Amino acid sequence: MGYSFFSLLKKDFTMMLSSKFLLLIVGSLILYSLYINLVYVRTDQAIYPVYLLDPAESIENISGQIIRVDNMEELQSHTSDGYAVGIDATGAAPKIIMTASGLDSTDHTRTAYALSLLSPGQSTPAEVIGQNSKEMKSRREITSEFLFFELAAVGFLGLASTLFEEKYMGVIRIHGVMPISKSLFIFSKLILFLLADLVFAFLLTVINLGLEAGFSVLPAILVQTVILSIIMALVGFFCAVWLPDFKQFSLLYIVFAIFITTPVFLVGQTSITWNWINYHPMYHLFMAIKNACFEMPVGEPVYYIICVVSIVVLFLVAHKTLTREMAKEG
Amino acid sequence: MRGIYHQLKNIRRDKMCILSFLLPVIVGLAINLLSDVSFSTLGETAFGIVQNDLTEEMADWVEQNGSVTVYEDMEGLQMAVIDPATQMIGVVRDSGTIKSILSGDEFQLYKTIGDKLPQLFEEREAMRLVAVEARPAQSDSLWPKSLLIVITMVTAMFMGCTFNAMSIIGEKEDGISFINEILPMTQQEYVFQKISLGLVGGILSTIATAFACMKIEIEQLFPLLLLIVLSAFISALIGMYIGRFSSGLMAGIVYIKMIMILFIAPPILFYLMIPADSIGRILSYLLPSSAAFYGLMDLVNGRGQNISSYFAVLLIHCVVWMLFYFITSSGSKNSTE
Repeated sequence: MGYSFFSLLKKDFTMMLSSKFLLLIVGSLILYSLYINLVYVRTDQAIYPVYLLDPAESIENISGQIIRVDNMEELQSHTSDGYAVGIDATGAAPKIIMTASGLDSTDHTRTAYALSLLSPGQSTPAEVIGQNSKEMKSRREITSEFLFFELAAVGFLGLASTLFEEKYMGVIRIHGVMPISKSLFIFSKLILFLLADLVFAFLLTVINLGLEAGFSVLPAILVQTVILSIIMALVGFFCAVWLPDFKQFSLLYIVFAIFITTPVFLVGQTSITWNWINYHPMYHLFMAIKNACFEMPVGEPVYYIICVVSIVVLFLVAHKTLTREMAKEG
Repeated sequence: MRGIYHQLKNIRRDKMCILSFLLPVIVGLAINLLSDVSFSTLGETAFGIVQNDLTEEMADWVEQNGSVTVYEDMEGLQMAVIDPATQMIGVVRDSGTIKSILSGDEFQLYKTIGDKLPQLFEEREAMRLVAVEARPAQSDSLWPKSLLIVITMVTAMFMGCTFNAMSIIGEKEDGISFINEILPMTQQEYVFQKISLGLVGGILSTIATAFACMKIEIEQLFPLLLLIVLSAFISALIGMYIGRFSSGLMAGIVYIKMIMILFIAPPILFYLMIPADSIGRILSYLLPSSAAFYGLMDLVNGRGQNISSYFAVLLIHCVVWMLFYFITSSGSKNSTE
C-alpha cells in the first residue's frame, strides 16, 4: 500500500516535470513579480493639475501647486482632458475654465480645489486611521489577486493536463485492472499539486510583500491556499475525466479564467457592490485570501464547514466519475 | 470549399466548443442587465458619514462633492474607510466645521482631497460667486461599463485564436499533421481552411456580443463590422502561430495564457494611462490588440474620428503577420526537405 502510493507519487512527479508544469509556475512567478514591482506599485492617481493665466501677477500668495501659463491658448489646451482645471485671472474676478468630467460632483470638487489654491488658507490634515501605506496596500492587494488567479487557474489546469496525458496513454484503462485504490490515484495527484501551490504561494508572498510582512501573513495565506488548491484540483480532476479531450477543456479554462474571476475581482477590489455576488462561491474564496493578505480576520466557522463539505463532495464526485470512466474504458 | 466542410464536420459534435463561442454573448447580455448606478459611482469620490452627526448644511455640501454612504456608528465608518477595496473619505463633525478621516493608503488624489476638505468646506461661499466655464464632457461617466463591454468583445475575438491553436495542436498530437503534409493540398489552402473556422467563430461570437450589449447606430455598423473582421483575423492568425510553435498541449496552454494576458491587459493600461495623442499611444500600436481595443472603445462611446487610422494599423498587422507566416513556413519546409 505504502509502496504503491509512493510509486504513484513518483510517476505523477515525473509527469509534472515532463509537462513543463513547473516551468509554467516559475514563468508566472517571474512575470507577476516584475509586474507588481515595476508597474503596479507605482500606479497612483495624481490630484487635478491647476493652471493659472495671470500675466499681470495680480493674485498674491498662490499655492506652489499652481502651474502658470502665458496665454489663453495654452490654458485651453492644458485643460482639455476633463481632469485639469484652469483659472483665468485676466478679468476682474478669477474665472474657472475646464472641460467637464461627466460627473457634476467631481466638477464641483475640481472647482473648489482650484479656488482653494489661490488663497493661503490652512486646513486641519485628515486623521489617518489605517495601518497600511499606499505601497503596502497595493502590494497586498495585487498579491492576493494574483495568488487567487494562479491557484484557481493552475491547480485546475495543471492537474487536468497531466490527467489528459494519462488518458491518451491509456493509463486510466490500466488502472482499472490494477490493485490500486482509486482514492490513492486521486490523492497522489492532489498532494503533488498542493505542494506546488504551497511553494508558489510562499514565494509570491515573500517576494512581493517582503520578508517581515510576508512571514506575518504566511500562516493565514497557506491555510487558504490549501483550501483553494484542493477545491480547484478536484474540480480540474472531475472536468478532465469527464470531458473527452483537452481542446474542450482549454476553451472551458479560458472561459473560466476570464468570466468567472472578473466579477469577483470587480466586487472584491473596487467599490462596486452587487448583492448577487454572495451566491458566487469563488467570491468567498477570494475574500478569504484577500483578508489573509491584509491580516484581517478570515472567515467564520461556517465558511470552513462549507469548504470541508464541498471538498468531501467534490472528492466523491471525482471518485465516482473516475470509476465510471474506468468502467467505460473496460 | 470541401476542405472547410470537413473542418466544420470536425467541430460539429464539439458542443463545448460551440458553447464557449456562445459564452461571451451571454456575458454581454448579463452586462446589459447590470445597473448603471453601480458603475457611475465608480468615478465619483466616495464619502462616508455617520448618521445624525453632520448638520444638514454639511451633509448637503458633502453630497455635492461625491457619493455619500451613511453609517450607523463611528465603528462602521472606520471599517469602511479602512476597507482596502475603496478609497472612501470619512467625514465627521468637528465643532463648527468638518474633519476628514483617511486610512492612509489612498491615491494621492483622494489623500489631497481628504486633507483639503475642511478648507474647501470653509471656502464654500467663494465657490458660489465664481464663474465657471465648462466645455462639455468628452467621456461619459459609464466608462467602466464600456470597458467591460470591450473586454468581453476582445475575449470573444480571442476565442478564435484559442480554437485555432488547439485545433492545430490536437492535429499534431494525433499525427494528422503528418498526413496533411502528403495530402494534395498547398500550404495556402491549409492555412485558409484552418484560419476560416476560428475566424468565422470569432466574428460571429463578437458580432452577437456587440448586438447584445451595445447600442449600435446605422452609421456605426460598417466600421464596427470591419473592425471586428480585421481583429478576429489577426486573432485567428495568432492562433496559427501558437499552433505551429507549441510542441505539446501544455506548451500551447502556456502560450495561450501569455498571449491572452498580453492581448487584453496592456491595451486597458495604455488606454487608461497614456494620453491619446502622445508618442506612447503610437508605440502601443505595435501590439495588434491595441488598435482593436481603442477602436471598439471609441465606437462604444459613440466617437468615430480616429477610426480610419485604427483600420490602417489593423490592416498593416494583418498583412505583415500573414506574409511573415508564409515566409517562415516555406523556410521551415525547405529545411525539412
